[in-house]
Amino acid sequence: MIILEYLLMILMVIAGLLAVYFKEEMTSIICLSLLSIFLSVLFLLYKAPDVALAEVVIGTGLSTALYMTAISQIRAGKRCLHREE
Amino acid sequence: MKKAPAILILFLFSGILLFAFSSFPDSGIIPGSSAEHIIQHGVGETGSLNLVTAILYDYRGFDSLGESTVIFAAVSAIVLTLSFKTLPVSSQGLSFIVKRTFGFLTPFIFLFGIYVITHGHLSPGGGFQGGVILASISIIFSIIYGTGFEYERIKPQVKTIMETGGALLFVFMGILGIIYESGFLDNLNFTNQRVGTLFSAGSIPLINLGVGFKVGAGLAIIFYSMIQKTFIEESEYGL
Repeated sequence: MIILEYLLMILMVIAGLLAVYFKEEMTSIICLSLLSIFLSVLFLLYKAPDVALAEVVIGTGLSTALYMTAISQIRAGKRCLHREE
Repeated sequence: MKKAPAILILFLFSGILLFAFSSFPDSGIIPGSSAEHIIQHGVGETGSLNLVTAILYDYRGFDSLGESTVIFAAVSAIVLTLSFKTLPVSSQGLSFIVKRTFGFLTPFIFLFGIYVITHGHLSPGGGFQGGVILASISIIFSIIYGTGFEYERIKPQVKTIMETGGALLFVFMGILGIIYESGFLDNLNFTNQRVGTLFSAGSIPLINLGVGFKVGAGLAIIFYSMIQKTFIEESEYGL
């Protein structure tokens, strides 16, 4: 059990570093959602199912969708600016 | 050596955090604290088997009311800054296979969201988590079926009514607590006899229902007002 704990912690750190490392925004967002998946499994190991459920639903589902929407909106705005020029 | 200050700050903060985590007390309950009281008497006092929900909506119900006020303020600000009147149907969605598969899956996701909300006092979960599950159905609809699909069927006015109704249900249960019990948001003890059944734990399931509707409708409103602007701009510029 303690090996799984340390493995999840190391994977979380790797996912966080990858999210900073990649230049592409979509890859960074996917790395962040991966981080919150590992974090939710860790919450489940620590017997906090309420927090794990909230982390899965918000960290993996909702925030990914909101970030992607925001980034696609920024790209659409950039395209419109280029067209005006 | 541009990265030297960043690396120094990283090691400094990780050292401070390691020190803080290592000085945590071991697992165990401090005698005489409120945690000990809640673990020993929580089920008897509130009738809720899930002690996290008992703390969230009974012992610290006023804090939860503050949290839902924060969500309400966020929804109001986003709708005020990003909202437009119409949403033209610009994207056609994904392929037929994905649409049919999600059509079969939707009732089960909806059932799971409703289960998490209504069984918040018995099993892990609660109004907030279930509400986000219901909002994610709305988000997946806009991705898979195109943006206009759910927008035409469930108008934003209906979602606004659901959100306001959830908030009003929360405050209404609080005022009922003033009338029937000792104070604001105090638990109504009229169904506390059979602990462990669906209709128990007084006002906690009703507050869960209110928070679930409020969070689900509020997050769906946020998402739709965010994508609205994009597609109006795309249609204006003929993309």
